[in-house]
Amino acid sequence: MMRAVMTAPSHRIFDRRLVALRRARAAANFPAHAFLVERVADEIADRLGTVNRDFPLALDLGSHRGMLRDVALPPGKIGMLVETDLAPAMLQGRESLRVAADEEALPFRAASFSLVVSALALHWTNDLPGALVQLRRTLAPDGLMIAALFGGETLFELRTALSEAEIECEGGLSPRISPMADVRDMGSLLQRAGFALPVMDVDRVKVTYADMIGLMRELRAMGETNALIERRRAPLRRTTLIRAAEIYQDRFGLPNGRIPATFEILFATGWAPHDSQQKPLKPGSATARLEEALKNMDKP
Amino acid sequence: MTNEATDHNGTTKSTARVPEVDRKLLEILVCPLTKTTLRYDSAAQELISDKARLAYPIRDGIPIMLPDEARELADGE
Repeated sequence: MMRAVMTAPSHRIFDRRLVALRRARAAANFPAHAFLVERVADEIADRLGTVNRDFPLALDLGSHRGMLRDVALPPGKIGMLVETDLAPAMLQGRESLRVAADEEALPFRAASFSLVVSALALHWTNDLPGALVQLRRTLAPDGLMIAALFGGETLFELRTALSEAEIECEGGLSPRISPMADVRDMGSLLQRAGFALPVMDVDRVKVTYADMIGLMRELRAMGETNALIERRRAPLRRTTLIRAAEIYQDRFGLPNGRIPATFEILFATGWAPHDSQQKPLKPGSATARLEEALKNMDKP
Repeated sequence: MTNEATDHNGTTKSTARVPEVDRKLLEILVCPLTKTTLRYDSAAQELISDKARLAYPIRDGIPIMLPDEARELADGE
């Protein structure tokens, strides 16, 4: 049932219901296909390990089956952890504090958390800048966010093979794989969302599969198949799929007959602003004259 | 996804069978649409947003803070 109170922005790209449905279907068997989330969870835990402070109340946004808590979080650093997922099925049977929540409409009071982490959940949001602003608002001053999301290079091989096959066999093109954030854009998004000391970095993971169908099967098991609103109603034709698999093999195939699939993972780190943080000096506040400094440079 | 735990008439379920929602969690939850404070109805197992006129269900101790899954409040509720 559609609700009158829900606003539908005109730039919606993802069908959030479909995203939720795919995640719900993937929930039961997710741990068998969680290698990417587990890898990202380990990475986030490593980063937290280097931050010398405790976090009394933390949020794991889009927690899947709770990999971050189970696999990775450094013991003792985190007091209470709240886990959210868009699909309630992902949260079933867990012991932690759980909330079914939409990354696009967060149900948390401002300044609640001292830490927000997110492992591969934000790439499905229609309004990433808006989601980041909401996340920053849920952080207490000097709170830390570490969010990992898929970047634009992700699955470029699959994208290439599907587009070429579709043009060749069907004379047209439809969006098959979601648009993803670019590492340069993410840095400025963090800043615009009001995060202090933003840092971006990238992890590239190459995974191999027997063939393209194997890759697509795993994407479905991860709940990560295309949820573009503009997706074509009809599924890909069988001939197109077969041609795409050939193109994938020809163009990217490895000597051992397998195919590679690239996942680009962006790690976005930022802090909720606080007076204790380092900042650039105000213009005009310098105590040494530039002229003096330049004069000193001339000396051998 | 199943809903077997939701039972709005309240006559058959004993309170012991309803998993309690954590107090700390209730303190930080707000309506996702209006960001306003919620009322906790422990008998109905709902979190009520008077501003959005929606009641968010709690299933198996998990608050379902999704507007699509919420119940619209009746007049005078």
